[in-house]
Amino acid sequence: MRDLKHLIYFEDLLQEANNDLVRKGKEDGNLCLGYTCYFMPEVLLDLPGCFAVRLRAPKCTSPDMASYYMSGRTCHYGRSLLERALEGGFNFIDAQLATETCTVTCRFQEHLDYMEGVINNATFKTSFTDVPFKKNENSIDHYRKQLKIKVLDFLAKEFGVDTSDEAILKAIRINNEVNDIITEIGNFRKLDNPTITGYEFSVITLVSMVCPKYLIVDKLRETLEELKTREPDDKPNYKIKVLLAGSENDDPDFIKLIEGCGALVVADRHCYGSLEARQHIDIKDGEDPLTAVARHYLLTSQCARFMEQQEMRRRKKVLADYAKEYKADGIIVESNKFCEYWSFERMIDTIVLPRDFGYPVCSIEKEYINTASGQLRTRFQAFVESVELKKIQEVK
Amino acid sequence: MLGRKSRKARKKAKRAKKAKRFVRRTVGTLVAAYAGLFCVFYFDLDGKLLYYVVEPFMKNHFDNMERRDPHDVPYDQIDSEYMSKF
Amino acid sequence: MKKPDLKKLKEVDFKKAARDFVYGKPHGERRLGDLYIPKTGLYKHREWRGIKDTMYYFNNIWLYNYGMIVHDLMVYGGGPKGAIQFLKGTWRYRWMGQTYLTVMHWFDRCLEGMRGETLKASAWHFRGITSACLYQITGFFNRDLNIGGDPALRAKTIGTDETVWGGIIYPYMDQGGYYLPTQMIPYFVTCHCNNHTVLNYIDAVQAYGLPGDPCPMCQAEAGIYIEDDVPDSFVAMVTTNEACDSSVGTSVIQDWMMNKPLFAMPQVMQFDDDSVLENCAKEIELAWRFMEEQTGLEFHWEELKKHIELQNKQNQFEREKWDVAANTHSYPINGVAQALYRIFYSQYGERPFWHDVDRRVKKIMEKCVNEDINTFPMTRHRVIAWSCAPLYYSAWCTWAYNCWGLNTIINMDSLMFDLDIRTDTYENCLLDIAKYHEWAPMRRMAVGGLQHIFELWENMEKFNCDMVMMYDQLQCKGMQGVVGLFEDEFRARNIHAIWMPHALPDKRTVPRSQIRQIINDYMFTVMGEEPLDPSLLDFDDIDSW
Repeated sequence: MRDLKHLIYFEDLLQEANNDLVRKGKEDGNLCLGYTCYFMPEVLLDLPGCFAVRLRAPKCTSPDMASYYMSGRTCHYGRSLLERALEGGFNFIDAQLATETCTVTCRFQEHLDYMEGVINNATFKTSFTDVPFKKNENSIDHYRKQLKIKVLDFLAKEFGVDTSDEAILKAIRINNEVNDIITEIGNFRKLDNPTITGYEFSVITLVSMVCPKYLIVDKLRETLEELKTREPDDKPNYKIKVLLAGSENDDPDFIKLIEGCGALVVADRHCYGSLEARQHIDIKDGEDPLTAVARHYLLTSQCARFMEQQEMRRRKKVLADYAKEYKADGIIVESNKFCEYWSFERMIDTIVLPRDFGYPVCSIEKEYINTASGQLRTRFQAFVESVELKKIQEVK
Repeated sequence: MLGRKSRKARKKAKRAKKAKRFVRRTVGTLVAAYAGLFCVFYFDLDGKLLYYVVEPFMKNHFDNMERRDPHDVPYDQIDSEYMSKF
Repeated sequence: MKKPDLKKLKEVDFKKAARDFVYGKPHGERRLGDLYIPKTGLYKHREWRGIKDTMYYFNNIWLYNYGMIVHDLMVYGGGPKGAIQFLKGTWRYRWMGQTYLTVMHWFDRCLEGMRGETLKASAWHFRGITSACLYQITGFFNRDLNIGGDPALRAKTIGTDETVWGGIIYPYMDQGGYYLPTQMIPYFVTCHCNNHTVLNYIDAVQAYGLPGDPCPMCQAEAGIYIEDDVPDSFVAMVTTNEACDSSVGTSVIQDWMMNKPLFAMPQVMQFDDDSVLENCAKEIELAWRFMEEQTGLEFHWEELKKHIELQNKQNQFEREKWDVAANTHSYPINGVAQALYRIFYSQYGERPFWHDVDRRVKKIMEKCVNEDINTFPMTRHRVIAWSCAPLYYSAWCTWAYNCWGLNTIINMDSLMFDLDIRTDTYENCLLDIAKYHEWAPMRRMAVGGLQHIFELWENMEKFNCDMVMMYDQLQCKGMQGVVGLFEDEFRARNIHAIWMPHALPDKRTVPRSQIRQIINDYMFTVMGEEPLDPSLLDFDDIDSW
């Protein structure tokens, strides 16, 4: 396929958290608000005069200082973020909007709060939001109240941000524009012969999360237009199509590794993936925008921390439905080492998805940055072969 | 008269003897049991019996017990209309 | 016949030997480590504590508790039928048949070296725990359909995750409502009593693909379900996210393997924050509604109130105990008895056997205070134990006192749930119950906010402690995530802290001998002290219960 015009530019933006567009956003006088988890609604951090940056620690392979603080037995992602913070790599953020949604990222954010000067920014502050484990009305109501107190009131009080309904509506509009573009780009993955690779899509999605939206939206739109006329290769250079599900992954090279083994990643249901994060935010008739935001983020998430019986069971079906929608031949379920939610979820997915839904599953444990790719490559190659064989047998 | 008396006395004495013997035996048995139990306690014989005999036997039993295969346990979708009430 | 060595006989101090026989060897001269049979943890013979204390141990602890076990089985089990159910359950479930028969050895380990009033008061705590266990064991088996239990009893029983506070059943107890924490007896207590069993459950869940790094407690809890070792004794289940991410994961496995109606009653993650209480309270109300629909029981406010008030009394007595522990040398309860009893009753909820124990302990404690008895006379350091403890070595406190004079005054688990719940109105009661859940074990002090974890400093001061035993649960992400901050604080505050690595129920990760070695090293090299009982420094108990 023809190279995407802006791909190298996008890739460059992912090389460090404080990228060119973040610097430009700050120069324009905006507040830069950091967050880690989908449960901190990005849209509320994109209020007028602010922009959201979902924190990453690219190229952090050896978080030594963070391992002193958080030991070597916690999730590499959380430790890498702390390492980057200790290195001074997050000094550009003005506030961290934190959630206690998984233990280690929570601990990382608590370090930002507790350790004086770790973020070398005089105005830096953190605020923690309590996120419910259920999707019932009580939870939506609670989540809304938390967002009001811990996000909106916090931003208004500490930074004088306009948090009116109008301001939220404006932020929703901007977010929806980006969401719709990414979703449309993602839909090219549903084609029989997709015109975008999983790696390219991952880069595009990530860029939309780590840059001020008003500075990146034009390039995203242009990319969408480009894709509309992009021709697929005559002979596909993949053997099977897969859905990637699981815990945190903001490393496009991991997807490149999978695709290098012959499995095109056509759907991404994982933290930092697009399937949840880039859905259009709808506002019901008569609903105030904050309630709409609370409802949207709670109901769209398929996070493994939801505990209602029907939700625990439904999310396996949701994965199978995604696989069907995106014409995937199999599912790769990954979890970061030490991620507890996904360790359990991966175990059950590995048994239930093939048994009840007929999808072969490759179950793997990975690090945040996968430098030791040899083992993973072997696993993926074996999986691709087994699915190929299965397909051949089905044809026979 | 004397003979009758002495018979009675003999009977009584016999009964008393019997009772004494019973008490002695009972007390003796209790003392022996108590002493025995104290030996069991002091020499940790209860622990040794459990450790060397009972636990290995039970372990063997449980190791060889037929168990349900988790793969066979169904994973049905739930009536979310009912459950979402909660 | 061998001739007696007269020279040696002459060297024997008969007066001292007689004194030791009558009163027991004084602490400092004892060699308790010599009593062990290598590897097994069994005793060549049990400790001679002097005539009075040995006979007390034999009569009032060993014999009495064996007898009371039979008594409790008959009373709680409802007579001969209950006894038959008990035998069936013992044959059916590994956690029963392989574990609990060794209960008196648990007493032994935890009460080693104790004398006088300390021996008495600590033993009463274990009696309470044993009674509570039997109450639950018979509760399980009498209802268990797997072994021909009574369906009518089962119909009024709710199973829960063990970290759901037992008070949720209070409003229904007068109607026969029953609460069964599904892991407390099959898993949690087994690790203390006989840690062999739990390893099967950990291995079982890993055999089905769970990695080895999540919290081993949750692994074991999931493993019980994988092994099909949870009795079918309840009609529906209430689960919770307490204490951590892994608990949430466990719920997924529980739900799958159990396949019964399940209500999730997650607790909020933030503390001391009134903005989260309302949500928590609503979830508790929903749980009650769920339980009522599943069991047909009705909510009785007066019944709830009655039990809450009784529970508050227990809590008030707990504070009295803390006061004595903090401000006198007459606190007659050793570290392990204090910790296990407190965690058990505050988690399981108010029941008659706790009050009986409290009444007896109160008497003993009053005697100690009135007579100014120094209950731990060889105390060199007053220790506070923090974070989550090694379940397979909860008796380390007893060892540490006997070997080094480290007296564990209080521990993190004891300090949770420190709340008197209001009963003036339903609304206040509900809000306090919500707060009670927030202050549950681990949630308050291992995950959920640094301010709570760092309550250590004020508790150190409050309990007059000069040393910290810092539990280092290697697979607890919440605590591993703050090890560096603790190190920094210990240095800055010039506090002696010993890090005790462990893996909760799994002794294979850090054996008990390694834990002792770490403490020994610290005491020798950092503190420059010599042991009170050198025979306890190093012994092999790798295969012990």
